[in-house]
Amino acid sequence: MPESTTSAHRPRLAAVITAYKRLLHGQHVVDRFLDGYGWAGTFHHPAMDVVSLYVDQRGEGDLSQERVDRHPTMKIYPTIAETLTLGGSKLAVDGVVVVGEHGTYPLTETGIMKHPHFEFFEQITKVFRDSGRSVPYFNDKELSWNWEWSKQMVDTSRQMGFPLQGGSSLAVTWRVPSVEFPLGATVHEAVSIGYGGMGSYDFHGLETIHCMVERRKGGETGVEWLQTYRGEGFWTAWQQGVWPQALVKAALCRSSTLAPGLVPGSATFTDTFPTVEQMRALVPDPVAYHYQHRDGLRCTMLLMNGLVRDFTFAAAIEGQAKPFSTQMYLPMPDGRTTLASFFSPLVYNAEQMFLTGKAQYPIERTLLTSGLLIAGVDSAHQGMQRVQTANLAAVHYQPNPESTFWRS
Amino acid sequence: MLTRRRFVEYSALSSAMLAYRPLLHNGWAQTPGRPLRLAILGSVYRYQSQMQTLADRFLIGYPYDGEWHMPNVQVVSVYVDQLARQAEAAPSPYQLAMTGAKVAPSSSAKGIAGGLGREHVVGAQSAPEKLEPMSDLSRARSQQFGFRLCSDIPEALRCGGDRIAVDAVLTIVEQDDYPSNDRGQILLPSYDFFQQCVEVFEDEGRAVPYFNHRQLSFSFEQAQTMVKTADRLRFPLLAGSSLPVTWRLPDVDIPLGAEVEEAVMVGVGAFDGMDFDALEALQCMLERRKGGETGVKAVQLIEGDDVWAAGNAGLWSKDLLSSALSRSDTPLGLTVLDGRTQDLVASGVLPQLVKNPAAYCIEYTDGTRATLLMLNGAIMDFNIAARVAGHGLVSTQFFLPPPPNDAHSACLAAKIEQTFQSRNAAYPAERTLLTTGLLEACLQSRHKLNQRLETPQLAISYQPPAESQYARN
Repeated sequence: MPESTTSAHRPRLAAVITAYKRLLHGQHVVDRFLDGYGWAGTFHHPAMDVVSLYVDQRGEGDLSQERVDRHPTMKIYPTIAETLTLGGSKLAVDGVVVVGEHGTYPLTETGIMKHPHFEFFEQITKVFRDSGRSVPYFNDKELSWNWEWSKQMVDTSRQMGFPLQGGSSLAVTWRVPSVEFPLGATVHEAVSIGYGGMGSYDFHGLETIHCMVERRKGGETGVEWLQTYRGEGFWTAWQQGVWPQALVKAALCRSSTLAPGLVPGSATFTDTFPTVEQMRALVPDPVAYHYQHRDGLRCTMLLMNGLVRDFTFAAAIEGQAKPFSTQMYLPMPDGRTTLASFFSPLVYNAEQMFLTGKAQYPIERTLLTSGLLIAGVDSAHQGMQRVQTANLAAVHYQPNPESTFWRS
Repeated sequence: MLTRRRFVEYSALSSAMLAYRPLLHNGWAQTPGRPLRLAILGSVYRYQSQMQTLADRFLIGYPYDGEWHMPNVQVVSVYVDQLARQAEAAPSPYQLAMTGAKVAPSSSAKGIAGGLGREHVVGAQSAPEKLEPMSDLSRARSQQFGFRLCSDIPEALRCGGDRIAVDAVLTIVEQDDYPSNDRGQILLPSYDFFQQCVEVFEDEGRAVPYFNHRQLSFSFEQAQTMVKTADRLRFPLLAGSSLPVTWRLPDVDIPLGAEVEEAVMVGVGAFDGMDFDALEALQCMLERRKGGETGVKAVQLIEGDDVWAAGNAGLWSKDLLSSALSRSDTPLGLTVLDGRTQDLVASGVLPQLVKNPAAYCIEYTDGTRATLLMLNGAIMDFNIAARVAGHGLVSTQFFLPPPPNDAHSACLAAKIEQTFQSRNAAYPAERTLLTTGLLEACLQSRHKLNQRLETPQLAISYQPPAESQYARN
């Protein structure tokens, strides 16, 4: 098969995704490589071409044929291997873009959807091995629903020596205000507050925390244990101060979607800070993942569906009089915007990896957050028991000292 | 006539202002002491009206600098023009008696003040009543927060007594059912509100800080009088919309003193609607250019296909349009259809998406050019790009967080509170004056079949605040 492209210097990418439909991650990510996007005040066209596409689940609403028709440089292949070899016998691309989100896959017994990140990874790395060459690998969102597999993905990338970069757009999107966690600061407690459900948006809440606290003194040291709180237990823990109410308040004060209270007398206010009673009425199924790091840092990821529709962060930083806080702003095409622009910094950072051959932020962050998600769901499944996380205690890493979030 | 009392009070006022100046930067948020007494005057207090959105912030607080900030402000009186006008139109008790109708027990002759704002139970919750979207909320708020609901503006300033009993006035005049003129301008009574307050100020020889939401008036002449009057009576006048003070994505401003060659602002909305906010956002950036603001020599409002022709002829820059649109999160058309990104300029789809484009072309006295493009049908947000010597293109989005919270109005509330507490306008009213005049002149150009109009009246000079005033922390 042809090794030739129109431009010898433009990296060629293979896209391997679960589904290519309107407003699914696959569409957001691959479209940005194909059509470009607004970046740093211009309409930016990535200096690379998606030349091959594998879509695991097509069907109604599938956009892949329309995209191929408009971008004939890209061809659809029936298997992942052919997508990487462009129908030949050896790896024929310079980078791989994987989106394992969405689609319909079976659930684990704890209720996490078995997205095929690992299956894709296995097939892709087989081509790498068979070709004696590997290329940079972008993996949207978490690594795998299975810890062993997540770990294996990271280990394999190390062994084979290819950059692996992933995670959530929460780590790289706009911040309102546009602030960075001070590198090397000492932090005792941190919280994130978000919305959505377990096994999906919890990952975003965890990434919100970790893109920040990994910059603390000593870097990331790993997590010793985690405990999930839901239902009445959540509110009891709230009242007992298992996580600091001051940080919750600071984070909520960064939200721009606080739901008005439901109680009489407050339903006519458009922007009001809710009482705990109002929050109880608004949030029928609150979730908290509360966990402790080896260096003593305690973090809490809260999902408060019904109260907010955004992600916020707050931390108690030593030497700062009041909590450090910000919103990780997602321009959300659920009526608020039409374009999920938070995929732009995610794709931009992926481009930088493809161009430089270096991951822009450590994959260990994604390994840790993938593991925390699994631990959170496990704890809930075990009746909200505290779970010891020896596997996560072994994840330690240093952050990229340079900020990689959207600010230009 | 300058009475002795008025002379003394003016002198006291000016020396007080001088004394306060050094304190300005020492944290207005922690103003100690007695709460500032505030009168709020507006058109309509219904759910999601601008009055409700802004006035509530002084009742229940607002998010600011990572905290829920409770202003050291007590709202003591509120005037709602809608209620006053309804009362005016309603039959008098005498007329009702003549026709045999019953007089509602709580209504006085004027129909609104009776029974309200007189017997306060602070913190008392009114019985949960079913509120229609158009329901007035001022009566319920009055009961809950114990402010006086007044039937006219002097009463609101004097709180029922015979002397000014407030320390500041917040006005939010907005469209309710006011008439329009032949240029499509809504005849909002902002000037009447202001004049009524000024009459009280002059009667008593004491003036208090005044905030005017959005444009000063539909008439530049009236707006000019307002600014002159505030200057003459030496009270701080703050005006404008929340667009200049909201968050920006990214967090950038025109470098102070930089040479700006040209700017293109994009926005959406109706004539005499959000165009004001967009012009003001444009102005709050351009006023920072070299030499400060020196005024506008001509404007032209172009409509329809002529807008695109003007772009082709170089009257506005396509590069700047492209840059401004690269900041938008709301492209319409194919993005809505299937989520794709779009370069709206390069693809050439703009003329298909925007059926009725409008270009507000502004020629500044110092040669800087700016254009506001209203692109209904193409986008739904407000973005700007400017060509700045030595800095390339500077572009950003003026972030409007979603309703109903409208968090950007909290940014404005903070500036209002700062102005009231420090007795020093956070930014010059001349900005709003010039923008008011720009809008009037542009609508005049439209009325005159889109002619270019010289604007000698807009030779307005002022210096911007050295520090950027938009939300950053």
